[in-house]
Amino acid sequence: MNLRINFASGVPIYRQLMEQIKHAVETGAIRSSEQLPTIRKIAEELAMNPNTVARAYRELEHEGFIEVRHGSGAYVAERGASSAKAAGIRKAGEVLRPAMERGLALGLSEEELRRVFEDELARLQDGGTAERRRN
Amino acid sequence: MNEMIIAADGLSKSYDGKPALKSLHLEVPRGSICGFLGRNGAGKTTTLKLLLGMLRRDAGSIRLFGEPVDSEASSIAARRRLGFVSEDKDLYAFMNVDQTIRFTRAFFPAWRRDLEERYLDLFQLPRKKAVPKLSKGMRTQLMLLLAMARGAELLIMDEPTSGLDPAMTEDVLQILADLAASDGTTVFFSSHQLAEVEQICDRVCIIDRGQAVIDGELDDLKADYRRVLLVFEGTPPRELASLPGIDHLSQRGRTASLLAHGNVEALVDRARELGPISVEVRSVTLKELFLDHVRGE
Amino acid sequence: MIWYKAWLETRWIFGLFVGLIVFVWLTPLWMPLFGLWLHPGIPASRIWMAIHLGSVFTSFFVANSLAGSGVNSQTAYSPAPGNDGSMLFTLSLPVSRRRLLFVRAGLGALLTNVLIAVMAGYTLSQRPEGANPLQAIEYLARAIVCTMAVYSLSVLISCLLATMWQLYAGIFFWMMVLVLQLKIGFVAWLSPLRGMTLISYPLTAPFPWAPIVASLVFAGICLCASVLVLQRKEY
Repeated sequence: MNLRINFASGVPIYRQLMEQIKHAVETGAIRSSEQLPTIRKIAEELAMNPNTVARAYRELEHEGFIEVRHGSGAYVAERGASSAKAAGIRKAGEVLRPAMERGLALGLSEEELRRVFEDELARLQDGGTAERRRN
Repeated sequence: MNEMIIAADGLSKSYDGKPALKSLHLEVPRGSICGFLGRNGAGKTTTLKLLLGMLRRDAGSIRLFGEPVDSEASSIAARRRLGFVSEDKDLYAFMNVDQTIRFTRAFFPAWRRDLEERYLDLFQLPRKKAVPKLSKGMRTQLMLLLAMARGAELLIMDEPTSGLDPAMTEDVLQILADLAASDGTTVFFSSHQLAEVEQICDRVCIIDRGQAVIDGELDDLKADYRRVLLVFEGTPPRELASLPGIDHLSQRGRTASLLAHGNVEALVDRARELGPISVEVRSVTLKELFLDHVRGE
Repeated sequence: MIWYKAWLETRWIFGLFVGLIVFVWLTPLWMPLFGLWLHPGIPASRIWMAIHLGSVFTSFFVANSLAGSGVNSQTAYSPAPGNDGSMLFTLSLPVSRRRLLFVRAGLGALLTNVLIAVMAGYTLSQRPEGANPLQAIEYLARAIVCTMAVYSLSVLISCLLATMWQLYAGIFFWMMVLVLQLKIGFVAWLSPLRGMTLISYPLTAPFPWAPIVASLVFAGICLCASVLVLQRKEY
């Protein structure tokens, strides 16, 4: 599992770690029912905080992506939960791609397009809480 | 419920009438790695010395390991369980590396010989070299070794990686991560290296002119704080300053830059009412958080 | 381990004085090599006085040089301005300041007294009229106790000032005492300096109880003051 964290990013590190682990599963770097590296191993290898790693694992467990078995470590959960999320991600990509292509066709640069996206996302909050965007 | 390994409240200290710390509040939970940031002269070293009993506080309370530290005896009891690295990394000039280690080892029954060997090897410290002949980097590494190999529950360190090259720094951060992961060691260290703090710390405390201005979990801070950039047709309106949830406001030309936390969405809605031509919301880095809280105003 | 540290701090100065004393003892051997002789007309009693005063003088310097507080450790490499040296390291260890003081001052006192005893032995052996055991014991007791007054003050000074000033401050203080004791009989009566240098004793003068008691009291006060200073001091 090749993990790369941008510590200076504004994105919380535990979120980055979660995304990277999910990505590793989706690309098949870790298979279902394979054991994930221990918190200690990841912390030591990346020289990062073990509590942050633990938080990422906790959130992943909460989302049903992994399961923690007493005494033997963390494992990728059954395909069901993860594939549902993965499918959702793929679907969203399919929906968004044409819209993004149209944006680029309008002459926007990637940076401008990204800013429009964030702006619109912020606008979508009617009644929604900050959590949605953060998550 | 997480036990607070370090708990300071209302901590005040003045030198010759000039206040160095003004009612500082500080909490570091067990197992956390907390970065202590601040400009030079903001009070970092003073705080660390107060925790160690090298200075006497004018007011406030200090608790280490849950026990109040208000006498030399209680300070000594705390020192049995912690390791300290001073800002200047000074050790005894009349000893060599080996003697210094043996000397320090005698005070700590929980000393880890295995860690001592490992760090000696990793840092490549020559055993028989006299301390004055060591380079600043090696002295720092020796002092780190002395603190980290003693089986301490808490490490209090003043700029632990100053003078170390990036490879040595990474080694030290890995050791700290490992100590925290395997032994639940709590680490509280001051640093000027924001990059390191972002990498290894789960908590951050920023001190400015003797007071804590930020204190919390780093990931939460990054989630809570946002930079809002507003561009206006003309000069940004004065009303911006009175919007709620703004930590810092600066203007350049027609652009206003706000550092906001809390309900940023509500703030953005209010800001839109002032008629900007563009609104942009970005996440913030630790550097921005730090600079905006310690410069000016 | 504190003893070990104290020894490492003091051994070179101790060695220096040992060397100095041996050098002086060997004077009769090396002086002729350089074509130097003592004038044959000098009476033996004067020579003995010189030896006696010389050893008093030396013990004064030994006392001022070996005293230490255990906290202000010397740093051989030049500390940056405002740098406290290794004191922060010492104070971060789980040892009380009092213990650091007692061990360091104790070892310094021990070494000082060893040198005093050695010099006393030599001085007594050179006395033309000889010295019986009682005289020897009383000479030694006087030398040690009164020098300890000088030593204790030096310990207190080391708690207050940087190491560099220790010797000079000590010299200054005792010179003031010397000036005072020449003018004021009371000071002379109590003065440890008189106790150390007394030539008319032994046997030809009464045992100088006043300087001995005064020295003990003074040493006690200095030691208590040292503890208090260290407890209150900020680093």
